[in-house]
Amino acid sequence: MTQLLVGLFMIIFLALPPVAKIMESVMIIHMHMQMPMLIIAGFLIAKFFQERYPGFFEKWNRNGLPGIMLFIIIVSFWTLPRTMDEALNEAGMEIFKFISLPLLAGIPLRDSWKRLGKIGRNVVIILFTILFFVMGWLYVDAPVQLCNNYLVIDQIILGWGFLTTAICFVIYLGYILFVDPSKYE
Amino acid sequence: METAINQTFNTKVNNLLGVNKEDAKISKTYLFVSFVILLIGGFLGLAQGLNRAGLLELPSWLNYYQILTMHGVFMLLAFTTFFTFGYLYAGLSHELGGLLPKVRKIVWTAFAAKIIGAVLVVIPILMNEASVMYTFYPPLKAHPMFYIGLVFFAVGMWLCNIGGFIQVANWRKNNKGKHVPIFSYFATGINILMFFALIPVAIEVLTLIPWSIGWTKTVNVMVSRTLFWAFGHTLVNIWYLTATSAWYVIAPKLIGGKRWSDTLTRVVIIALVIMNITGGFHHQIIDPGISLPVKMMHVFMSLAIGFPSLMTAFAMFAVFEKTARKQGGKGLIGWYKKMPWGDVRFLALFISMASFIPAGAGGIAQTTNQLDTVVHNTMWIVGHFHLTLGVTVALAFFGISYWLVPYISGRVLTPKINKLGVIQTWIWTIGMIFMSGSMHTVGLFGSPRRTSYTTYGDHATALSWDPYMMALAIGGTLLIIGVILQVYAVINMMFFAPKGETEFPIADVEENASPTPYWTERWGIWIIVMLIVVAMAYVIPLSEFILNGPPGSPGFKTW
Repeated sequence: MTQLLVGLFMIIFLALPPVAKIMESVMIIHMHMQMPMLIIAGFLIAKFFQERYPGFFEKWNRNGLPGIMLFIIIVSFWTLPRTMDEALNEAGMEIFKFISLPLLAGIPLRDSWKRLGKIGRNVVIILFTILFFVMGWLYVDAPVQLCNNYLVIDQIILGWGFLTTAICFVIYLGYILFVDPSKYE
Repeated sequence: METAINQTFNTKVNNLLGVNKEDAKISKTYLFVSFVILLIGGFLGLAQGLNRAGLLELPSWLNYYQILTMHGVFMLLAFTTFFTFGYLYAGLSHELGGLLPKVRKIVWTAFAAKIIGAVLVVIPILMNEASVMYTFYPPLKAHPMFYIGLVFFAVGMWLCNIGGFIQVANWRKNNKGKHVPIFSYFATGINILMFFALIPVAIEVLTLIPWSIGWTKTVNVMVSRTLFWAFGHTLVNIWYLTATSAWYVIAPKLIGGKRWSDTLTRVVIIALVIMNITGGFHHQIIDPGISLPVKMMHVFMSLAIGFPSLMTAFAMFAVFEKTARKQGGKGLIGWYKKMPWGDVRFLALFISMASFIPAGAGGIAQTTNQLDTVVHNTMWIVGHFHLTLGVTVALAFFGISYWLVPYISGRVLTPKINKLGVIQTWIWTIGMIFMSGSMHTVGLFGSPRRTSYTTYGDHATALSWDPYMMALAIGGTLLIIGVILQVYAVINMMFFAPKGETEFPIADVEENASPTPYWTERWGIWIIVMLIVVAMAYVIPLSEFILNGPPGSPGFKTW
């Protein structure tokens, strides 16, 4: 119940017009802070739904694959420049952002993560590492303005944000590849 | 609760045989150097304070900015780091059953690198070729030797960190599935923070060396400042975490109590490690070239560091109250009477903690853009870091020295030195109240920092600062008495006190404590989280500074 309340509070706080405005005024904060925070809010809310409707998740997300597919589709959708622009220009898209990221990305992520197993999880991380490198390269190298609402410098910064995050993922992958936990635990 | 009670065979042997002689030599050397530096740095501080108050004319061959640079470098870089490693390695040796021979070699090599570095840094300052203050902001340009010395010093610190990692990893291999003992856990957190914080400043220094030699013409000032503070702020928190380790681990034992919550302690360490480096940005809150939403975001990131500190305050008072009540203390605040106020080891630690309440509050005020605008370039800031470093950190280090130095020297703390220590602690506290208090106040009236004595042509406002400057000089004089007493006590305990066994006072966890979850041991994950937070925090300002960067600045020698 606490997690549900914290998650709902986060969504309401992030949706407050001054908070949303300041976060959306900087491209990278919009994509790399507001959106992940909405996913985290959904992640917290997930527990409530898992306890309330265990049968639903068991039936539709037994091995975690459908959930993680939904997560990947929703997150990939929101990494596109066009969708960010539309969220800023159209109220309907903005509402969809605040609903889709917690409910269609956060909740399935939590439900799928444990079901996926070690290999499945690492595949997802590798996938996102590649995606982040590609998106980073796109945003850093694009010679034109990709979003009507943001300057070229904003998109280059976002690109570097993608690249540095991808580097952190690579460090993580290196860590799990080279450090054998059974030596210590 | 297994963490502190669980002892390996080596640890038990170590406890029976007392301190390992070879390891003690390491800690003794580090601590000796640290207190010698404190003595020299103290006299430099006195000269600086008296000169700033207009009471002392410096000789023609020595100027205010030289002393200012040297005082900063000695106290902030050398005194603190030598002490920290002397203390940490004594604890690692004690808790993990003696240092590995390989680690000893690394730590001695580190010592050599740090001494070489310190000498290389000091020579150009003495030659008046590097009066750039300890922050060495470009475009102030120092002699190349100054920067090369810094590289040596950084390498020395890195080696110390690596030695710590090897020691802890070895212990974990031999004690699978166990929690790293709490003191070593603190040491690991401190080593991780320092290891990563040194990377940005090393990049900065490596760009300044070719610029200083003349191979490159210009330097990006904003990038340099940002890289410096990613390190500078973290360094402050490395001292703080060192002091905190004594509050959590040592203080409960000194008052005859137990540690309150092992999980909370470890969570505080993890939180400080993850959030610290990004806090450096609040030192640049009124720097140009950074947009307001970004500054706003950083205010949140900086204030987040306050949260684990509040957890610490809660935990400390919980320990005090529980212990004092067990010993018969009563009433809302009457239980305080049960604390060992006559024991310097506790008194110094307690004042160190208590001073962090105003010091932390001042820090939070400065993190706020509008409030910082009022005080940023004034003596207020100098007052702030004399309260944090000069009281919170220094008094914790002094308090530690009263058991650590006898412990590594195979001697005991005599009642006479204890009494001297109590007097020293009060002199130091009163001196700092005078000095830091007057600095804070005169800063609010607009007295600038980083400026030698001037009356601005006898301007009325500047003259109105003078009484506070006198208070500052009085404080400085009391502090030098404090320094002399402290160094005397350390030398006495190291070489002259009666021989005997002194305990390394690590408190146990309460009997009915809940077990600590194992995720606290997964440092690999916490380091990745830290790196992501750092990447998020710095990608915006650094990209802007580089992509929208001005042509860069040539070097200036303004002194």
